Amino acid sequence: MKKWVIISPLAALVIWQVLVSAGLLGHTPSPVSVVRGIYQLSVTGLPPGFRLMGHVMASLGRVLLGFAFAVTLAIPLGILMGWSSVFNTIVDPLVEVIRPIPPLAWLPLAVLWFGIGYLSAAFLIFLGVFFPVVLNTVSGVRSVEPHLVEAARTLGAKEKTVLARVLVPGALPSVFTGVRIGLGIGWMTLVAAELTAVKSGYGLGYMIMTARDVARYDYVVAGIVVIGFLGFLMDRLIKLAEKRALRWR
Amino acid sequence: MQHWGQVTFLHFRPVSFPGDKKTARGGGGGAATGFAVTLITVMALLMALPLGGCGAKPQGTRVVRIGTLRNDLHQVAYYVAREKGFFTEEGLDVREGGAFNAGPEEMSAFSAGELDMGYAGTAPIVTFAGQDMADVKIVAQANLVGSAIVVRNGLEAEDVAALKGRTIAVPGYSTVQDFLLRTALKKAGMSDKDVNIIVVKPPEMIPALAGGQVDAAVAWEPYPSMMVNQKAGRVLIRSGKIWPHHPCCMLVADADFLRRNPDTVKRVVAAHVKATKYIRDNPLEAADMAHLFTGQPAEVARAAMKDIEFSYVPEVKGIQRYVEFLKSNGVIKVKDAASFTRGLVDTGFLPGGGS
Repeated sequence: MKKWVIISPLAALVIWQVLVSAGLLGHTPSPVSVVRGIYQLSVTGLPPGFRLMGHVMASLGRVLLGFAFAVTLAIPLGILMGWSSVFNTIVDPLVEVIRPIPPLAWLPLAVLWFGIGYLSAAFLIFLGVFFPVVLNTVSGVRSVEPHLVEAARTLGAKEKTVLARVLVPGALPSVFTGVRIGLGIGWMTLVAAELTAVKSGYGLGYMIMTARDVARYDYVVAGIVVIGFLGFLMDRLIKLAEKRALRWR
Repeated sequence: MQHWGQVTFLHFRPVSFPGDKKTARGGGGGAATGFAVTLITVMALLMALPLGGCGAKPQGTRVVRIGTLRNDLHQVAYYVAREKGFFTEEGLDVREGGAFNAGPEEMSAFSAGELDMGYAGTAPIVTFAGQDMADVKIVAQANLVGSAIVVRNGLEAEDVAALKGRTIAVPGYSTVQDFLLRTALKKAGMSDKDVNIIVVKPPEMIPALAGGQVDAAVAWEPYPSMMVNQKAGRVLIRSGKIWPHHPCCMLVADADFLRRNPDTVKRVVAAHVKATKYIRDNPLEAADMAHLFTGQPAEVARAAMKDIEFSYVPEVKGIQRYVEFLKSNGVIKVKDAASFTRGLVDTGFLPGGGS
């Protein structure tokens, strides 16, 4: 079964190379030139001297910072919203108003509030991660079977215990789904986050935009591939954590 | 009439589609079908709108799609030519090819065959042409100079030398503004190692300067004027003082379009030349048109346009100098900067050949 993991990416690569070789994709770089691009970015860098590893570390840092803040705030908020319908009625409209706003639209405000640099980028990533985690936590808490809660109460459990021993564990699978979706969206906001607010000169999103400015589409795609790969790795890590956390199932 | 046939086709096919689905599911979903019909009808109507419009065009009108940059003064001549009817006088039906957020996107639109002509900055044109990512020819200059180094309020700096050790924002690596800054530093006996250069897109330069996060910023107009207008900073030096008559924005044509429709290109260039002369003769009126087209405050447009030289003759030497810069830092790989520049510029469409 493990072997099957590589089939779909491999097929995509082959089809991509064939289409480019056949001249059907215009100026789209081929997988071969992208691999060469990744090598050149690792050795020479873009702008020259700013190597791929530096871009990767900077972006990882921003994503992890935004992600950590988002998860820390979103899970408790989601639990509260799922638990108390009064609280939910009050907070939900606000969540639903802010949720659909595209990260790029926040950019001017992010710069105004956090300046140019690490924090404004992390803020945009935070927004991407936050909402899927909140919503999935709420629906996770709500999905816990009422008779389980009733049973716990009948057995004399206090509200606190019901929350900690029944609702939160019951919501965990859904919370993990939210975290995985949120992390994906966090990576998706990376280019917007690093569009302008980069002080160090490092960041994958920033590197992609620089490559676009200098018309190096092989570097653009190389950046895309690296982001995809990092996103994939982090998703696998969360899956692993999920397996451990939900061993009781 | 042909267009309406197309619309009917579009209207018809998707309507039958939900119906098929319904049978497959074994009935139900009447509301969904109704919604789909409404949606498709609206889409068909929307598609019919622009198509219906071309039935009205007079005989012999030449259609040309021209790209521009959003919010920008690069193409004041375009605004003036539209407003004053110079395109119509030339028998042109100018279609808005798109107001692009940035030059690189406009150049990709050229390589995708979505544009016939366009107004764009020197950097994206040379960068994309130099890497065969877009096949375009420069047929006229639009303006010269018009960039500036702005320092934040409160920074004691009377000349470029005072920027030593400071953080300076440029709109992008290897842009004309990046080159201007490097040239200014060199003139002041410094190199890029003596300052901290970071990339900030011009709209965000304003809060960055105001918040003191950068000490200086290099941008093209109207951004320096906006920075001054919003009290974020003051002009340290204008780009004309760093590099006299340096090229800024140009009018380009898709090489293939140019080969097939030389007459259309000639007419667009003629309207562009007329508009450029008009701007020079009526700067205030032109600034007000720019204000209306871009939504910039009128005083910003006026202040900004004072520092732009409006010229239609390509500044070939300046373009070549920038090509040499891009060649030296490895952004483009052309064998010979002079011959590449000669091949990129085509002054044959200007009145009198442009010389």
